[in-house]
Amino acid sequence: MSDTHSETDLAKAGATQDAEPFNPKAARPPPGLSVGPLAWMKQNLFATWLDTVITIICAVIIFMLARHLITWGIVDSVWDAANRRECMNKSPEGACWAGPRLWFHQFIYGLYNVDERWRVNIGFFVLVAWMVPLFLSRITVKLPTAIGLVMTYPLFASYLFYGGEKGIAWTIISALGIACFIWAMINALMEVFASKPLGKLLEDRFGMVTVKSRAIVFLALWAAATVVWSGVEFEVVRTVRWGGLFVTLVVAGIGITFALPSGIILALGRRSQLPLIRIVCVCFIEVFRSVPLITVLFMATTMVPLFLPEGVTFDKLLRAIIAVCLFAAAYMAEVVRGGLQSIPRGQYEAAAAMGLGYWRTTGLIIMPQALKLMIPNILSNFIGLFKDTTLVAIIGLFDLLGMVQAMSEATDWIGLVDEPYLFAAAVYFVGCFAMSRYARHLENKLSTEHR
Amino acid sequence: MNTPVSAGNTAHGPERSRLSRMASDPKIRGLVAQAIVGILIVLAGYYLVTQTIYNMEKRGLTAGFDFLSTTAGFSIGFFLIDYEPTDTFGRVFLVGVVNTLFVSIIAIIFATIFGFIMGVARLSHNWLIARIAAVYVEVIRNTPLLLQIFVWYLGVFTLLPPPKQSFELVFGVFVLNNRGFYSTAPVTGELFWITGIAIIAGLALTVMFRRSAKAQQEATGEAPKWAWKALLVLVAAPLAVFVLTGAPLSWEIPTLKGFNYQGGWAVPPPFLALLIALTAYTSAFIAEIVRAGIQSVGKGQTEAALSLGLPRRRVLKLVVIPQAMRAIIPPLISQYLNIVKNSSLAVAIAYPDLVGLWMQTSLNQAGRAIEIVATTMLFYMTVSLSISALLNIYNKRVQLQER
Repeated sequence: MSDTHSETDLAKAGATQDAEPFNPKAARPPPGLSVGPLAWMKQNLFATWLDTVITIICAVIIFMLARHLITWGIVDSVWDAANRRECMNKSPEGACWAGPRLWFHQFIYGLYNVDERWRVNIGFFVLVAWMVPLFLSRITVKLPTAIGLVMTYPLFASYLFYGGEKGIAWTIISALGIACFIWAMINALMEVFASKPLGKLLEDRFGMVTVKSRAIVFLALWAAATVVWSGVEFEVVRTVRWGGLFVTLVVAGIGITFALPSGIILALGRRSQLPLIRIVCVCFIEVFRSVPLITVLFMATTMVPLFLPEGVTFDKLLRAIIAVCLFAAAYMAEVVRGGLQSIPRGQYEAAAAMGLGYWRTTGLIIMPQALKLMIPNILSNFIGLFKDTTLVAIIGLFDLLGMVQAMSEATDWIGLVDEPYLFAAAVYFVGCFAMSRYARHLENKLSTEHR
Repeated sequence: MNTPVSAGNTAHGPERSRLSRMASDPKIRGLVAQAIVGILIVLAGYYLVTQTIYNMEKRGLTAGFDFLSTTAGFSIGFFLIDYEPTDTFGRVFLVGVVNTLFVSIIAIIFATIFGFIMGVARLSHNWLIARIAAVYVEVIRNTPLLLQIFVWYLGVFTLLPPPKQSFELVFGVFVLNNRGFYSTAPVTGELFWITGIAIIAGLALTVMFRRSAKAQQEATGEAPKWAWKALLVLVAAPLAVFVLTGAPLSWEIPTLKGFNYQGGWAVPPPFLALLIALTAYTSAFIAEIVRAGIQSVGKGQTEAALSLGLPRRRVLKLVVIPQAMRAIIPPLISQYLNIVKNSSLAVAIAYPDLVGLWMQTSLNQAGRAIEIVATTMLFYMTVSLSISALLNIYNKRVQLQER
């Protein structure tokens, strides 16, 4: 409005031939109730009489709910009590947060030996530290870090968490994880402070051929890690003692790490020209996608022992993990297939025209583009898997939900349901919501980059 | 394609042996790869079969489906088709299938209704309603279904008052207590089938009216009014038939007898918890599907329809909804499939669905792990495949309409 005004003023001023110096008028105030919080409320809350009624009813309900929640959860709540009876005596109407507070460590670690819990913490911090470089934009060497993380972290972490005697082979293998971690950390530090990846730095300093210098330094690091690592031995913590959020993350983490490569293989197999391979992959994917996870878990607990040779037994956690892996692979295959389908035909044809064969077309042209497009879907798949791991509680593992269930059945806290379940719900919500927000953010970012 | 390749080969003739030429032939490579996969599968299958047979012999287990006709011997808490502990395992399977389908179908109906309401509410002009719907969707979608089932079951339905202090809703038509939910049930009399036929005839006539009205509108451009005709054949005629046959319908009201309510329809608390959790969980996903579907219809469509002079209501009915449905229905149907699959979580709160009855109780009693797991999976695969067949038919129809 004000724009057109000043333009007409300008025209007039031009017409009167600079008789007067041009004085722009001050912009007129907006008409009443078109800006400001009151106008916003009129437009968005009280637009019609029906809106007004609905808004008032909703507001009253929200207010009453909030008041109830605050009095129950905060004002009248008990934070310090040894059992439920004590809670009831102190404040019969309030929440008994003392229960979840006392059980907090069990919710996180399960029955993991108290003196050994630091191992879980270390494993978690290593994981987080390893993942940080993947999210920093300054760091250029991301793919090797990611591959190292996915391939070697489980080797290191499985010994860290389980412990026990490790032979020479196992020492060398799990030390690989440590070496990769140290390498990734040094590399990240170099990139942040010296803005140069480690390999490049070595090349500049020593003038060796890049690949060779990296390999030599890495092997030296690995050897050193093996020597140090061979002197460390942890107490065995059997998987029956594992529990809480720790087990939830272990199951979901292994599930997704296994699902990604096997999902890619299955999806490629499903799109293959070779009929036998296609049929096998389609059958696998369709079977596991059409049955509920709980049936796969039951199958793993009841049928796997029948398939194994004598003397070989899998513990319950491992069986659950196998079931989750098979299930997640089938779902991931469909995500990958979706990504592959979104690559236009021209890409295949161009690759063929360049004389690339199947593997090079897939590996160099199609997969890099498809994987990038798939990242948001992979993340939402992971959210689903994270929620689905609660099902292991049904077959008797004590994941976060299983632990919460155990608490509300424990003698001291029997019948205490709302508080521990609310705690678990909050943990799941924070995890899933954060991931879904991140997935959405990535989707926006990637889609703008693509245009 | 083939000639230049072979020409190249002859040029290099002496350098490249027959074997290396074969190794680079995609057809032969394909055959070799398939042969390797085939051999691996056969070997794995052979290993699994022999090992399983060996293990089963060792443990004295037998195989086969003969157990289906032996007596199950356990009682079931909730069944829709008649069942006695003396019935066979085959009957138990059927009870499980019916229970699973029952809870799934009711959850599908409620989740669809509630999901559409929530999806539209998320797009409401009223800020408060849109926010409430958004919070609902995010909270429900981001917490595990199993946790929600437990909260409904342990936190709500087991804490209800005992039968003596039941909630009586709508003047005692419905009753709710910690034993379950009781509803007044209609009991049909002998001649009720005539009314049934009248209703079916009314439906058929309504469809005919609608068709002829549409045909007339397309031919002449004038929309004939047929609502009163439909009302006549759908409501008035069956009602008249019902009264004339002597109103053969009575109501069975649940009443407190002894320790519990008797009469009418009754469902146990686990059913209610499962139903509400499934409905809430899936409706959040359906709400997102509906929202995305409505948003996928371009704004230009609405504006164009409005500029043609269509009233708002008809814009929605004729322009927006038909186009949105095309985007909504395929993911909606896969949500229905998810409901059927997720209903298997019933096993956690002891609602006797297929997984609970068959994979847990019957498996423990009969011990036929392989047969029971196979039949359960076969059931879910049948449901899934028939639903995806439906989806394919729908997609084909929609695609045809596009061109």
